[in-house]
Amino acid sequence: MKLLTCPMNGSRPLSEFIFGGEYRDAPDQKTCSDSEWAAYVHNRSGAPGDKKEWWYHSPSGTWFIAERNTLSDKVSRTYLLSANTNSTQEQAK
Amino acid sequence: MPLRLLKYAIKKEHPASRFFKSHDAPKKSYDVVIIGGGGHGLAAAYYLAKDHGITNVAVLEKGYIGGGNTGRNTTIVRSNYLTPEGVNFYDASVKIYEGLSEELDLNLFYSTRGHFTLAHTESAMRTMRWRAEVNKHVGVESRVVGPDEIAKACPQLDLSCSGQAPILGALFHAPGSVARHDGVAWGYARGADRLGAEIHQNTEVLSIDVKNGKVCGVKTNKGYIETKQVLCAVAGFTPRITEMVDLETPIVIHPLQACVTEPMKPWLDTILVSGSLHVYVSQSSRGELVMGSSLDPYEVHSTRSTLDFVEGLTSHMLDMFPFLANVKVVRQWAGMADMTPDFAPIMGKTPIEGFYLDAGWGTWGFKATPISGKTMAQTIANDSAPDLIHSFRLSRFEDYELTGEKGAASVGH
Amino acid sequence: MSLRTTKQNGEWLDRTKKINFTFEGEAFTAFEGDTISSALWAAGQKVLGRSFKYHRARGVLSLANHDVNILVTDGIDTNMRADVVLVKDGMVLNAVNTIGGVKKDKNSYIDSISPLLPVGFYYKAFHTPRRFFPFWEKVIRKAAGLGIVNFDYPRILKRKLHTHCDVLVIGAGPTGLTAACVAAEAGLEVTIVDENQQAGGSLGYDRSGNVAMASQLTDLLAKVAGYSNITMITGAYAAGYYPDHLIPIVAANGITKVRAKTVIVASGAFEQPPVFRYNDLPGVMLGSAAQRLIYRYGVKPFNNGVVVTANDYGYRVALDLLAAGTKVVAVVDLRAEASPMAAEVTKRGVKVYPGHCVYEALASSDKSGVRGAIICAYDEQKNVAITAKKITLECDGIAMSAGWAPAGALLYQAGTAMQFDYAVQQFVPSRIPDGIFAAGKVNGIFELEQRINDAKRAANEALRYLGLSAPEVVTERHVGASPSHAYPMVPHDKGKNFVDFDEDIQIKDFVNAAKEGFDNIELMKRFTTVGMGPSQGKHSNMNAIRILAKIRNLPVEKIGTTTSRPFFHPTPIGHLGGRGFHSHRLTSLHQWHAEHGAVFTDIGAWKRAAYYPTVGQTKEDAIQTEAMAVRQTAGIIDGSSFGKIEVHGPDAAEFLERFFTGVYATQKVGSCRYVMLLDESGVIVDDGIASRLADDLFYLSVGTSNAAAVYREMQRSQQMWQLDLGLVNVTGAFGAINIAGPAAREILATLTDLDLSYESFPISSVRESIVAGVEARLIRVAFVSDVGYELHIPMVQVPQVWQALLDAGKKHGIRPFGSDTQRLLRLEMGHAMPGVDTDGLTNPFEIGAEWALKMSKSYFIGQRSLQILAKKPLRKRLVAFALAENFKGEMPMDCNLVLEGREILGRVTSIGYSKFIDRCIGLAFVTPAKTAIGAQFQIRTDNGSSVTATVVKTPFLKN
Repeated sequence: MKLLTCPMNGSRPLSEFIFGGEYRDAPDQKTCSDSEWAAYVHNRSGAPGDKKEWWYHSPSGTWFIAERNTLSDKVSRTYLLSANTNSTQEQAK
Repeated sequence: MPLRLLKYAIKKEHPASRFFKSHDAPKKSYDVVIIGGGGHGLAAAYYLAKDHGITNVAVLEKGYIGGGNTGRNTTIVRSNYLTPEGVNFYDASVKIYEGLSEELDLNLFYSTRGHFTLAHTESAMRTMRWRAEVNKHVGVESRVVGPDEIAKACPQLDLSCSGQAPILGALFHAPGSVARHDGVAWGYARGADRLGAEIHQNTEVLSIDVKNGKVCGVKTNKGYIETKQVLCAVAGFTPRITEMVDLETPIVIHPLQACVTEPMKPWLDTILVSGSLHVYVSQSSRGELVMGSSLDPYEVHSTRSTLDFVEGLTSHMLDMFPFLANVKVVRQWAGMADMTPDFAPIMGKTPIEGFYLDAGWGTWGFKATPISGKTMAQTIANDSAPDLIHSFRLSRFEDYELTGEKGAASVGH
Repeated sequence: MSLRTTKQNGEWLDRTKKINFTFEGEAFTAFEGDTISSALWAAGQKVLGRSFKYHRARGVLSLANHDVNILVTDGIDTNMRADVVLVKDGMVLNAVNTIGGVKKDKNSYIDSISPLLPVGFYYKAFHTPRRFFPFWEKVIRKAAGLGIVNFDYPRILKRKLHTHCDVLVIGAGPTGLTAACVAAEAGLEVTIVDENQQAGGSLGYDRSGNVAMASQLTDLLAKVAGYSNITMITGAYAAGYYPDHLIPIVAANGITKVRAKTVIVASGAFEQPPVFRYNDLPGVMLGSAAQRLIYRYGVKPFNNGVVVTANDYGYRVALDLLAAGTKVVAVVDLRAEASPMAAEVTKRGVKVYPGHCVYEALASSDKSGVRGAIICAYDEQKNVAITAKKITLECDGIAMSAGWAPAGALLYQAGTAMQFDYAVQQFVPSRIPDGIFAAGKVNGIFELEQRINDAKRAANEALRYLGLSAPEVVTERHVGASPSHAYPMVPHDKGKNFVDFDEDIQIKDFVNAAKEGFDNIELMKRFTTVGMGPSQGKHSNMNAIRILAKIRNLPVEKIGTTTSRPFFHPTPIGHLGGRGFHSHRLTSLHQWHAEHGAVFTDIGAWKRAAYYPTVGQTKEDAIQTEAMAVRQTAGIIDGSSFGKIEVHGPDAAEFLERFFTGVYATQKVGSCRYVMLLDESGVIVDDGIASRLADDLFYLSVGTSNAAAVYREMQRSQQMWQLDLGLVNVTGAFGAINIAGPAAREILATLTDLDLSYESFPISSVRESIVAGVEARLIRVAFVSDVGYELHIPMVQVPQVWQALLDAGKKHGIRPFGSDTQRLLRLEMGHAMPGVDTDGLTNPFEIGAEWALKMSKSYFIGQRSLQILAKKPLRKRLVAFALAENFKGEMPMDCNLVLEGREILGRVTSIGYSKFIDRCIGLAFVTPAKTAIGAQFQIRTDNGSSVTATVVKTPFLKN
């Protein structure tokens, strides 16, 4: 089993984690068109590459971000979203 | 012993010719370029030639034919879907499959064994009834059966599943079958080749030329090909191709794993599926148990194997068949599945003129091979998708008209 | 005639312990430590099994766990590998897949009709006309498979262990043992694993007849034993490589999952058979198999042997045979150039034939063994036999040594790039992933001294990888004659020169496959099935690659290899499945429910009481009885499995505003509001109740099966929104009891001082008080009845309150009711349940839940999609319906379809007979045209009859 590093709990086997999908910034729902919103809701950047993803450490209830290459399945970095102030502020708006 | 085996035996030289010709390099241009030499791509080439007389066609395969999900799936063919659109579509596929060995003159070992989808919970029973009702309505033989009938078809099954997940009933689908997956690819390849299509193995598409919203050619590792029509039939690699034409789709790639045991004398005559236990199993004509489970839980573009998968699957196999404890798993493998949000394929035209999609096949692509080939050939020939695949169009997502197959998957209670 | 030798130095037998067993009805004796094959071979039994396809007689081939033709059954287990399974006293063994026994297998006729079964024959026959295929399929299925599975085989639960080490060494031959010592010397925790019963690898049997070799092994093992930080595991194999250096080690008693910091692969190489006519006869075996027989089991492989070789190893085998007392008739060497070792065997009276091949082995009259070998000159350039001058050598056995294939499966699985090294005619690692090292034969290093050196190199590299300082050791690549022959194959007009013994594949099968276009290694594998048998190509893949390279006139490296996948050896389902866990959550009342005859149902992870039938009562009756109690007096249900979540902090209301569809900012403390959760696409995920206990504290109760997922999404949203609040999942901490019915208030009043008057405690309000001496949150809900109280109390105190309620309600006739009854009760109330009356695509408009949406809010999850959906015509809508009064026909069920002619208008989502109102009522999706009160539609029942339903108002109770 692969290992993944939870920012709060360290390296743990993958079976303790739940994949939460790609981290995506939503378009401004007040200004975006219907089709832009539909694309946001349904479409995904499915091509392989470096992705920012949501992961959840189930036993401790920790959501965090993993930067992972979906081709090699290598994780380069994991961190709490709140540690990334820019995106936190954007989301809070 | 069939006569033709005698003919083989008498001849000193092995009489067979190549299933498909080998070509040095693609020509400068084709009417249609099909990306992907799996079952779907080859079937499309075959039906383009056979049904529409379009033979100036190249099938480009970056590896070897049938080497993707065609050669990696667990070969189950069925049509017991939830929506009328789904049932009709897969039923049309089953009908072609039933005569395909004869049509392609290749024994695909299409073997109708009956298919049980086991229900261990009341909510699963509800879904089974829902599917049975729709199937019946469309004219497909599916019905809800009780434990007795399951026991009759498979007396070895522990109906209590080791006391952990007692079986309440099942959806029995009489037409459920298995087939030789490689044979399907080879048969279509031979058929397409004989009708004039060219199959180019080891030929990888590097980019697709689009001008003014129209396809005009593809660049390959064996040179540039002019064409106005491109079919993308590359399950597991679809996002890599759609990225070449800047086409957004909902498709994400998850591996789907499978494994196979040592051969044993056939005892399992039916195909069994348990959604709750995440197991599907049938016994091949070689005597191996061919087993699969649910999709891997996260996106990876790789066919690596995991221990988790085989541990989980075998644990549940033991719940169903406790006596298999010392039967051995020989090999595990994986394929890459195109997953869509509504568990239905994406087929037909796209906003790019001349670029057609045959994608989003998730875990159900093999069973659709003949009908997808046929309907995609129709779509390309007429530049218009037939009604049979209307509900699978890419634009359904923008229209918020997802197919109802998602319905069953989310019934939780 | 016994072939047992005198005791060998280092043999694996305990000759003081005799074992009696039978094979195919005949009695045999053996020593403890014998495998089934070695015991039978020692006793002169030659035909040990039959091949899969042609049912040809087969004997010992490798004695290294790929003698796949020698599978036996002991009546309990099957497909047991006789070459490695230890024989036990009292075993009653039979070969698998024969008709009438291994010696006179009636299926052996198939061998004589083999021309009828060319490669891929099953693709080319039996399918026309279509109607005959089922007949042929039956014939084929009968012939398929190996052993017969024992349906009574016990489900033996195998344990799983998890261990960690610094260095995992795979293979305990001289290379692995040396590497382990180097790592151990540096203070690292080392685990070394070997599939053989004893460590030592080739050092234990490759002796060139030299007894001194035995002591070299003894010394090395003593050294290993001196390190307390080396864990040696023998009789267990590394089954596969998984990411982050996870390697399952499979032993008889279970799997150990080893997580290693580094892995040294010293797994050696598989000896490969040269290919010539009848190379499969019993008595024709690999040189290393002959050596294993001699030194491990004290068995002389044969009396008069011929060694066919294409490397220097064959000469060593010849010397070992001589040492065992076998007369070696000749060494036949494919290579024209004389081996430097030729002189040594010549000196011992063995004739050497350089530049010769075995053209064919000669079968004894009953085809049970070898009576001779026809040899002739061999053209190494063209790879053909020169048959002008054939010599017949009499012999009763042939030892074959033509080369090796690396046991590189785990290296491949780890992602190692391999390249073909012509110096050793073998694939060797060229680029290995971080933390993995290869040494010894698998790395293309064959000379013993060099292997030891290579082990030191690899171990030191591993040390440096782990951050320790260690000297650089350089291994010299192989010089001199290659240990493997480039093309050890002898074509023969009549074939039967086997490449793959599992599947009976001959050279011509490859030629024919290529002719048909299957000239790519993967296609060839699939068409011929080479390497697809239980040994997974261990002795056949390399030769298949060589043959294809020759057919296509390409260098071997251009052909490539097929993909290696787990498992290294076939691995039992019981081992992999282990003990198997099914986790269930039980409420603190579970015992009570069980004692009171509850029938349980699985809802999400929970076991819930569905209903409580009294003796002789049907499910339907039980449900009606319980429902009537609620309607007429009172009932109580254990709702402890409901999801329960606290949202506390100054931004709690703001959080709910964003997360759910309704309005919470203005919700008064002490009141409850409905919550509905959507996904981004506007589909209903779940619903529940938000009770405001304080300005900054909401207590949420949501459905059972979605609770974990809902809480998880709340946590994710909070990560994004970073509001000033905390989330606590109190599902397990709080239990819940719902008491409902006209007498509920009166019963509850006896247990609490709280003012329960409808004025001060109206519907949709929450209070905190003491009930039956326990602190409780009381929520006034109208889910199953107009009068109902949900009591949320600490889980451990639920039984106490439950009992108090039962006692207090006894005189009213209070009854417990289960979740199935609850379904009916809420249906009578007209409530739709997410997941039952909605599916994975249902949006709020489709269930008429516009009232639950505050579209004018600035944001909630799914809002934007609802704005889009609102513009689209509605395609279906949930309606309440009733069947005719006194309906007596076939009762429709959930998921029966609503039809109009051929058109599907919708489906029933819930239906039930309500005794209280004496009507069949339900909810159904229908097209918008059918939604008006009084509209009628047709439901098709299971038996095909059509039932008319009429749209009615809810709640049904007030109809």
